Amino acid sequence: MTLSQRLHDNAGLVFPAVATLAALVSANLIDPYLAYVATSWVIFGLLGLSLDVVWGRGGFLSLAQTAFYGLGGYMGSVAAINMAAVTGNSVIWALPAGMIVGGLVAAALGWIIFYARMGPLQSTILSYTFTLLLWSVSQSFKLDIGAARIGGDNGMSNIPGFVLGFGEKAETLSPAAGLMLVVAISAAVYFLTRQLWRGTFGKVIDCIRLDAQKAELLGYDVRRFQVLGFAYSGAVAGLAGALFGGWANYLNPSIFSVQEALLVPIYVLVGGLGSLAGPFVGALVIGGLSFWLGGGAVGGQTTLILGIVLVLLVLFLKDGILGALDAAWRRFLPDPNDAARSAGAVSIEAEALEAILIEAQNRAGPAKPLKTQDLYKRFGGVVPVNRVSLSFTPGRPFSLIGPNGAGKSSFLKTCIGIYDPQGGAVTIAGEDVTHMPISARVHAGMGVKNQKPQVFADLTVHENLWIAAHSRLKDRAAADAVTGEILSMLGFGAQSAVEAGALSHGQQQWLDIGMVLCLAPRVVLLDEPAAGMTREETGELSRLVRVLARYTTVVVVEHDMEFVRTLEGHVTVLHQGEVFAEGDIETLRADDHVLDIYLGRREHV
Amino acid sequence: MEIDYLATVLLSSLSSAAILLIATIGLAVVFGLMGVINLAHGEFLMIGAYTALTATRMGVPFALSIPIAVAVTMLIGALVEILVINRLYGRIFDTMLATWGISIAFYQLAVLIFGTVTPGIGMPRFNVTIGDYSLAGYPLAMIAVALAMAGFVYLLMTRSVYGMKARAAIQEPEMAQAIGIEAARVNTMTFALGCGLAGFAGAVLLPIVPATPSMGFAFVIKAFLAVVVAGPVTLTGSVLTTLGLGGGASITASFLTSVAGDVFFFLITAALLWLYPLGISARWRRKL
Repeated sequence: MTLSQRLHDNAGLVFPAVATLAALVSANLIDPYLAYVATSWVIFGLLGLSLDVVWGRGGFLSLAQTAFYGLGGYMGSVAAINMAAVTGNSVIWALPAGMIVGGLVAAALGWIIFYARMGPLQSTILSYTFTLLLWSVSQSFKLDIGAARIGGDNGMSNIPGFVLGFGEKAETLSPAAGLMLVVAISAAVYFLTRQLWRGTFGKVIDCIRLDAQKAELLGYDVRRFQVLGFAYSGAVAGLAGALFGGWANYLNPSIFSVQEALLVPIYVLVGGLGSLAGPFVGALVIGGLSFWLGGGAVGGQTTLILGIVLVLLVLFLKDGILGALDAAWRRFLPDPNDAARSAGAVSIEAEALEAILIEAQNRAGPAKPLKTQDLYKRFGGVVPVNRVSLSFTPGRPFSLIGPNGAGKSSFLKTCIGIYDPQGGAVTIAGEDVTHMPISARVHAGMGVKNQKPQVFADLTVHENLWIAAHSRLKDRAAADAVTGEILSMLGFGAQSAVEAGALSHGQQQWLDIGMVLCLAPRVVLLDEPAAGMTREETGELSRLVRVLARYTTVVVVEHDMEFVRTLEGHVTVLHQGEVFAEGDIETLRADDHVLDIYLGRREHV
Repeated sequence: MEIDYLATVLLSSLSSAAILLIATIGLAVVFGLMGVINLAHGEFLMIGAYTALTATRMGVPFALSIPIAVAVTMLIGALVEILVINRLYGRIFDTMLATWGISIAFYQLAVLIFGTVTPGIGMPRFNVTIGDYSLAGYPLAMIAVALAMAGFVYLLMTRSVYGMKARAAIQEPEMAQAIGIEAARVNTMTFALGCGLAGFAGAVLLPIVPATPSMGFAFVIKAFLAVVVAGPVTLTGSVLTTLGLGGGASITASFLTSVAGDVFFFLITAALLWLYPLGISARWRRKL
């Protein structure tokens, strides 16, 4: 690996560290007024970071960041005003207060948004109106809390600056020292955030952005992660607000204004969405530009210019400054996705697979039967699942077949938990899972592969498998080991650093199956796994399914009759949402009634 | 409490709901037919108001200034669609951000051109008397205007060639392309129509809501919420939500304070979104 490559891989660590040091060193060298103004840019960068984690990484455009920021600012300042009079120190009261308030309010709002499963549009608009509501309420909101006076549109004044020492003699930090303090705190938050987002927590958040359903099918409680991530971002915004209060010594409702809210996505977009360091770059560039243009720009035209800048950014520079730099740098680096093209055909070694399955059995226990009792699902006047009672056991594969619209996929989706049935029950080894959330079923032993390959396109092949393995094992070393085994079984050893999105359709199908195997499921549900596969691949898949069925319960929904025949398992024919016939494939092939419904012949249609 | 007082509260609340519906319809049309939330909707309302104001000051009768306002906003709307929106088709958040930028730019332009305070125009004087209470007639007339607007949009969508094309383009985009409907042109038309409706709203409400650069913000919060809560069946849905939310907030406001009305609006919206996370009409069979 060349130096350039190593530097590129650690760019998020090296460059911010250098920038932090540079800022700390230069704080005392620059003009105090510039140091004072630059402090606010860093604070805005921190606010931008809070949006980047929810939007760039979490995929939810929150327009409520300035609400958390403002609330954090007000509450942090209330704490500072009251406590600084007693203890001298302002920082240790203001910052935690701002963080807690921002975090709690974000958690509450996030809980409503995510647990209600609002659409993306509804979520964004609700977050926006939350900010505007605070703006409207804060205009007339008057309250005295101890020595602090929240004075409606008169704002709150006499907020103490940054005081680090204790006692009566403690003095407010100079502009240069204030800048150093804010830089140090922001750097700490940045590196903590980067660490979190490189770890499991952040990986799961990335996965939710890329494919929330798949994340849930891997057993992650998606909504809990979303709320936690949002609360984290609210805490960061609240912290930024508390810093802002100490910096400005004065707050008024304009902190909740539309103009203020508009700046946050601009910082993020200018710097680079999802890059975490980008918002600081964006805030620095925007702040520096207005400073350079002189005080005049702050007056009349700033809003106008910013509005136009936002439009231009969205139209022409989606990845921002860091994104553009990264793209330019990558051109001089070897493309890790090249390996995707050199991948050979997948060949399943039965012995390797068996070893994995035995090991999984030792860890996760024996295979579990899946049963449905009078399962009933209706959409308006259509009943795709009409009182289906079926029992699936380990030993040999079970196939569900039937003509288009027979209700095969609907039945499967009801078992998985994507559809909530109106009647009947689904049990896994006797445990009633009928109305359980998907992730809970996965923990009960269910593994699912949907018809389309569901892989996390921006993550590498290795990360895809790892995140699946970690969901079950909750242990890094064990997850590494399982990932390695599955990687080599699928023959993806050379492709482990390839982004999943660069794989071919067939390779993605195998990767998806590999992720299901990583879960060591006790019941496996496969929805048309052979769709889009070549003859050879279908043959391999058939072998895999047959081996799998010896150790777990396997249910396959399939169109491909030839594939079903090679499975040599039990076959159930569904027709108009009901069980039509059962038996082995040869008997069913000879059955006139089955042929009738497949060919659409009159009598039994 | 007297029955007369209750009647006036109900009637004036109904008129606030009607005013909200007038301000919302354009947004609902654009959202329903293009899947785009136009965050600059409020600024189009403001442009309509300023156009009508400028026209009346130049001696044009108020009634005639309304079509002028519609024409101006439609033209600006078409330009915005061609220059910005149609390059972002299918990228809903980018569209929102871009229209947000446009909104703030228009706002600032209005501040630069007109200043922050402008004189209103006199309200056409006629009163309605209920018992001891007398209500200004013009706001009550808005109930009829709102009904007329909703009826106009409904007829336009169901009876005109454009309306059919627009509905086809949103319901089955590929099929619509295949039978020769040019989605881009239909979208330009739809967006212009939405902006024109906003312009109409700004002009017709001018006697009630004086033109100020920030008047858009005040309206659109509720308009956005009404549309988003309404969900995919935007027209019928929005009529219901503006009536329920707007009317409810207005009743709350008349018994408590206007801030309480806003809070009521927000909380009920959050509750409705909790119950219907994709809007109240997400499971309806009808399409308009």
